[in-house]
Amino acid sequence: MVEFSWVVRSPLEHALVAGPYGASGEAGVSLTEIRNFDLIQVMARRGKATEVATAAKARLGVAAPETPKAVQTSDAALIWSGPDQFLVLSKGGKHAINQLSQAFASSASLSDQSHARALISISGAKARAVLAKLSSIDLHPDAFPVGAAAATSMDHTSVTLWRGDDGLNGQAVFNVLVFATFAESLWHTMLDSAAEYGVAISHSEEF
Amino acid sequence: MRIVCPFCGERELGEFTYLGDAKPQRPAADAGEDAVYDYVYLRDNIAGVMSEHWYHGGGCRSWLKITRNTLTHEISAVEPAAGAGAAKVGA
Amino acid sequence: MAGVQANRLANGGLIDRSDPLNFRFDGKSFAGFQGDTLASALIANGVKLVGRSFKYHRPRGILSAGSEEPNALVELRSGARREPNTKATTAELYEGLEAASQNRWPSLRHDLMAVNQLFAPIFVAGFYYKTFMWPAKFWEAIYEPTIRRAAGLGRAAGIPDPDHYDKAWAHCDVLIAGSGPAGLAAALAAGRSGARVILCEEDFALGGRLLSDGGTIDSMPAAEWLSRALAELAALPDVRIMTRTTLFGVYDGGTYGAIERVNDHLPSPPEHQVRQRLWRIVAKRCVVAAGAIERPIVFAGNDTPGVMMASAMRTYVARYAATPAKRVALFTNNEDGWRTVETALGAGLQIAAVVDARPDVSAAHRSLASKGGFPVLNGSVAAVDGGRDGVRKISVSLTGGARAEVEADGLAVSGGWNPAVALTSYHRGRPKWQDDIAAFVPDGAPPGMVAVGAANGVFGLGACLSQGFAAGAQAARDAGRSGKAGLTPVAEDEAFSLNPLWHVAGKGKAFVDQQHDVTASDIELAQREGFESVEHLKRYTTLGMATDQGKTSNVAGLAIMAAVSGKSIPETGTTIYRPPYVPVAIGAFAGHHRDENFHATRLTPSHHWAAEQGAIFVDTGLWKRAQWYPRAGEKDWLDSVTREVKAVRGGVGFCDVSTLGKIDVHGPDAGAFLDRVYINTFSNLAVGKARYGLMLREDGMVYDDGTTSRLAEDHYFLTTTTAKAGPVMQHLEFCRQVLFPEFDVQLTSVSDQWAQFSIAGPKTRDLLREIVDPGEDLSNEGFPFMGAREVALRGGIKARLFRISFSGEMAFEISVPARYGDALVRNLMQAGAPFGVTPYGTEALGVMRIEKGHVAGPELSGTTTAADLGLGKMMSTKKDFVGRIMAGREALVAPNRQVVVGIKPTDKASRLRSGAHIIPKGEIPGPGNDQGYVTSVCFSPTLDQWIGLGLVERGRERIGEIVHAHDPLRGEGYDVELCNPVFYDPEGGRQRG
Repeated sequence: MVEFSWVVRSPLEHALVAGPYGASGEAGVSLTEIRNFDLIQVMARRGKATEVATAAKARLGVAAPETPKAVQTSDAALIWSGPDQFLVLSKGGKHAINQLSQAFASSASLSDQSHARALISISGAKARAVLAKLSSIDLHPDAFPVGAAAATSMDHTSVTLWRGDDGLNGQAVFNVLVFATFAESLWHTMLDSAAEYGVAISHSEEF
Repeated sequence: MRIVCPFCGERELGEFTYLGDAKPQRPAADAGEDAVYDYVYLRDNIAGVMSEHWYHGGGCRSWLKITRNTLTHEISAVEPAAGAGAAKVGA
Repeated sequence: MAGVQANRLANGGLIDRSDPLNFRFDGKSFAGFQGDTLASALIANGVKLVGRSFKYHRPRGILSAGSEEPNALVELRSGARREPNTKATTAELYEGLEAASQNRWPSLRHDLMAVNQLFAPIFVAGFYYKTFMWPAKFWEAIYEPTIRRAAGLGRAAGIPDPDHYDKAWAHCDVLIAGSGPAGLAAALAAGRSGARVILCEEDFALGGRLLSDGGTIDSMPAAEWLSRALAELAALPDVRIMTRTTLFGVYDGGTYGAIERVNDHLPSPPEHQVRQRLWRIVAKRCVVAAGAIERPIVFAGNDTPGVMMASAMRTYVARYAATPAKRVALFTNNEDGWRTVETALGAGLQIAAVVDARPDVSAAHRSLASKGGFPVLNGSVAAVDGGRDGVRKISVSLTGGARAEVEADGLAVSGGWNPAVALTSYHRGRPKWQDDIAAFVPDGAPPGMVAVGAANGVFGLGACLSQGFAAGAQAARDAGRSGKAGLTPVAEDEAFSLNPLWHVAGKGKAFVDQQHDVTASDIELAQREGFESVEHLKRYTTLGMATDQGKTSNVAGLAIMAAVSGKSIPETGTTIYRPPYVPVAIGAFAGHHRDENFHATRLTPSHHWAAEQGAIFVDTGLWKRAQWYPRAGEKDWLDSVTREVKAVRGGVGFCDVSTLGKIDVHGPDAGAFLDRVYINTFSNLAVGKARYGLMLREDGMVYDDGTTSRLAEDHYFLTTTTAKAGPVMQHLEFCRQVLFPEFDVQLTSVSDQWAQFSIAGPKTRDLLREIVDPGEDLSNEGFPFMGAREVALRGGIKARLFRISFSGEMAFEISVPARYGDALVRNLMQAGAPFGVTPYGTEALGVMRIEKGHVAGPELSGTTTAADLGLGKMMSTKKDFVGRIMAGREALVAPNRQVVVGIKPTDKASRLRSGAHIIPKGEIPGPGNDQGYVTSVCFSPTLDQWIGLGLVERGRERIGEIVHAHDPLRGEGYDVELCNPVFYDPEGGRQRG
């Protein structure tokens, strides 16, 4: 009898080729796939909004977002994903489904989405120009500040989009969670959209 | 067309799916065939202001009741379906 | 030869003389400068004849200097980039440009089809309708192909466009169309107020008529004011100026369409860049400063090359330093036309005469005439004598009846100006008539939009600036911006007077719509024949229906119709305005979505492994699914599929079924909710068990089916068919949020969370025992048929195991979190090697489900009931569910309904085809005895013959009956036997073993 190895394979493992892509020169856009994360969808039960807020505060240290926003804690991001629901994005198993289920046992239904999405981070001087080709949402800094989130569509594909903290260079960072089976298709669309600005492609295990 | 989702804010038409007349109510379980027939098949087709079901499937997956003028496409009201945002029921 | 630009002025213009460009027109080499359009460069080279007309193949030149051009249409570029009907007046010159004239053979100068002119009397309005009526069969075979060859303009490339196009969204407070004085003033006011501004200008240069007409603004020459204004706008962070961008459409809710010609001004787009970009702009307010279009006057020979709009002639001389003629005559009915005389004199051109239709000409103009030594004739141009080489002579009817002749090689015409009312009229708006300028002006606009300046019928420079400025400031305030707009730019208003004149009666063809060759007499004929309504007039004569959308012809056409029908022009009215304002390439609408990017695709977790195996993929909705896995030596797909089926039935195989829709149904009321959704009961399903469920639409027809498992008291895992995954999710949300909001239930898609494989065949357990932790009991007792639970796998991960079977074999479905899907398939191959494990595709899956009599998409056609599928007994009578009442309607429970039955040819060697109709044996096929049809077929390796399922009237009562399969599509017919749809293991012992 052999023990099988269970190597994880990201939905973008085949399509993502780290390095420069498109127009040469300084890359206008950075596309980074974040791999291997825990993603739990928390859906408040009927009439349990208050209990969920309390449970989130107790377990994660912050109130759950009730409007389209992303809230960052020291080790997790809580991202609004619809009325009565939000996603808990984290690394390393601390906020995986079994770890969270106790806290929300009486107030919410939890669904493990850790493998259901790919996470792509988009930054660079031309990030908004690329996203304007993919998203109908107004991403002007006044309209979509740090911490803004949206459940929306890109290229007819459902995504969760939010603006994280600005990068060290002061540039905006946008995060896109896309359904895993659509990921390669959306990735190609992103590359096509970004090619004219020059792209720096990478992947990372860190947020 | 732009629709202001009560949860997401203003979004473009492509994120929404149209279902139709929101007026007919599903009859109770003991209603007769005639009532159900009316519910399933008889629809008003109003040239003017109409209450309609729309689904924000490309966004937050909420069903919405939208008051829309079918002649001008002007939307005068958007409200969530009874079961959208139910966690706040009784709050 | 190239290099000599005989008609180029020595000085002036906005061309860059330091950047000469070479180009070719009809194979001949020419030179121009950066900053030229193709039209201005042709004029500079003395080219007057640039095309042949649509119907009569008359020689045509350049009429305008903008996107309203009806005549100067060329094929631009060559090969795959060849682009027909491109306006020379807007095509920017670039090094190496190649253009060809259209609609001529063998050459532009010697066009044999010009013979059509001899038949002109018969090519009248409605000619095609009247002439090619009979014999009917000649239409497709002879008339249409011949007409298409003779008429039509340029030729499409005929091969795929190599360039990329894309689409983007933009958002702003204030959108401005046009960068003339009104548009720039609006942009300054809105931008200074702090508004987010987008200004679209279709030209490559900003400034509109300022570039041709100059003037004085804020005591500065217009050019200086312009450069200051542009510098100020460029410094405002939220003002975006988009040149080469035409705002072409207005849509609901403040959404606008614009086309940006990103790289049309280059031979081909630089690497990685797009050719054009389609913009959808969302704006709180829109200021239309799109200007006005000068209109022709209709007279005999008005289409002769060298007859040009007066404003266009100014543009060519002043902006491009190119002289369309040496000796120019002007025909005007208004004050503005005289500016062309001033410009021409300033450039040293000769003025042959001015024909002014107004009774009085100002003293200033009279003195200009005497200084310039040219006559001012009070009257109108009756005819132009000339041909392919241009204008030679102009005959004038003088007021009072006398005639005069003027020798000239160019005629500038001004019939007044029509405000560009398209954008303001796209929401079925009807412009209103304004007498003092004899033109239609906007009468209101779509919500949030306002027209200013010439687009609003205001022609004075000062008025354009102040109106644009006020509108820009107001739009910014309306959008919630409160910054200071500052001072309004100031300029004088020019005098404007006009005597309406549309048509000068005379001998010879007088063209209204030059692109579609519609003459004044065509309009008169249409009126005589009763096509008096403007919408009839348009369609009967094709007036305004060409690619220029009648920008220079519509109003004149209406005026002529008004005159012959004895009505006023406003009574005659306008046709409906519809976008796009200028032609937009289909490629721009498609954007990224072409070829392999036509739509988004979904890949299963085992996709890249399957590709490594050489799998053949099939598109199933958005999915790519492995259809079969060919092996060396197999001669066709049937060989591969047959092998895969045999391997499963005789050993073990697996198939990726991750494409099934998977939905987590959570909450205390999850069971009660599912009872409403499915026809059968789920609230009583034990935890750890799976059950097949069927859901109906509210009209009683079957909607979808699938297996749903109960994983916890308050957690069900529901599966849908691949095709209906999205629609079922939407339907369930409708049930949850709209129909049954009282339930405490939560839904979420987990389709992408799980990689799911069906493992089937008698050796399934042998394979699973290799991969599942030895502590897990997979025996019939420990894991009975329809069991569902989590198990541990060797190597430390968890999986879900469902003992369900679609193939009829001993089978499990196993699912692991999706990122382990690739590892699972490789581990299955490794663990299964001793048992000959065989991956199988959707074809083998289909074969086995047909052998087993399971229904799928072809039977779940939206017209079948549960009973039709043989599943009527599943319908609970103890609860309400969606579709319950309607499913009981008389016709849906009628005894003679077509129901699912097995079908096999009586001749075992005969092939069965889906779609064949079932007819009673011995009867002549017809609608009266059509009893159903074959829905699904396959070659059954197990039975060694073709078998199928069908929907046949009273099918289940007729098992064993021989009927006839009639297949008119393929011209076949053969006898078949109706049989039990479960061809394979009808007792079900194998799947339960």
